[in-house]
Amino acid sequence: MWATECEQEGTGWGILEDLPGDPMIWVLIFSELAAFGLFLGAFVIARVIHPAMFASGQAVLDARLAGLNTVVLVTSGWAAARGTKSTRAGESRTSRRWLVGAMVLGGLFVTIKVFEYGGEIGHGIGLESSTFFTLYFLLTGFHLLHVCLGIVILAVVCRRAEAVLVETGTAFWHMVDLIWIVMFPILYLVR
Amino acid sequence: MMTPDRLDMTWIVLIGLALATILVPSVVPRPLLANALLLAFAAAKGRRIVLDYLDLRTAPALWRGLVSAWIFIVLMFAWLASAAVDLI
Repeated sequence: MWATECEQEGTGWGILEDLPGDPMIWVLIFSELAAFGLFLGAFVIARVIHPAMFASGQAVLDARLAGLNTVVLVTSGWAAARGTKSTRAGESRTSRRWLVGAMVLGGLFVTIKVFEYGGEIGHGIGLESSTFFTLYFLLTGFHLLHVCLGIVILAVVCRRAEAVLVETGTAFWHMVDLIWIVMFPILYLVR
Repeated sequence: MMTPDRLDMTWIVLIGLALATILVPSVVPRPLLANALLLAFAAAKGRRIVLDYLDLRTAPALWRGLVSAWIFIVLMFAWLASAAVDLI
């Protein structure tokens, strides 16, 4: 049973109370999914309008580096999920260790992404190089901001390692993971 | 030795699908099929994250369905658009 079910019964959130963590985080999660969904939709439509420009832009990207980042982020998500499981079992110290692991891997994702940006900028590519790169930098940059925010949220919930807090923090983290999983093939691989 | 639980199995599946996704463009020459495959892999990864990481497996079907629908709609739209580019 989720901690929210035990601790927040009848708090006025209605059906949102059936979700793990604080219901407010789910309002944020659904808003973020809608925003990223629209943004990715705009990218896809722009690709239909400018197929040659998008193909040449995509050819410059390092899909293997982004693939490595997928492995890093899903591993981080696994560590965060283990942290939640440990918290529910009342194992606060174990939970903290898993959450620290998730944060370290999140930091590695940021490092790899910044390294990738460095390579692209080194090739003279910038935000205004083409419509493809404008959308690419905005989408991945917006996502990268969410990764950084997720690390901060995990650090905050890690201090007390209480079930509702950890469920709330890790729900945000898994949303960041989910968005990358959907974004990665659309930006880097779909031809 | 610890027996892998559902979270561990999900992680293994996600890593396997992530590696398969990277290989698809070089292994499958036809863009339409390659796109379908790698977007299907993304859908499978997303679904595992929703069920096991976001922990919506036992949540009401409404929430599970909403997040799963988001994954499906975005990826299906991307595939249809890529098919349109291929046909034009």
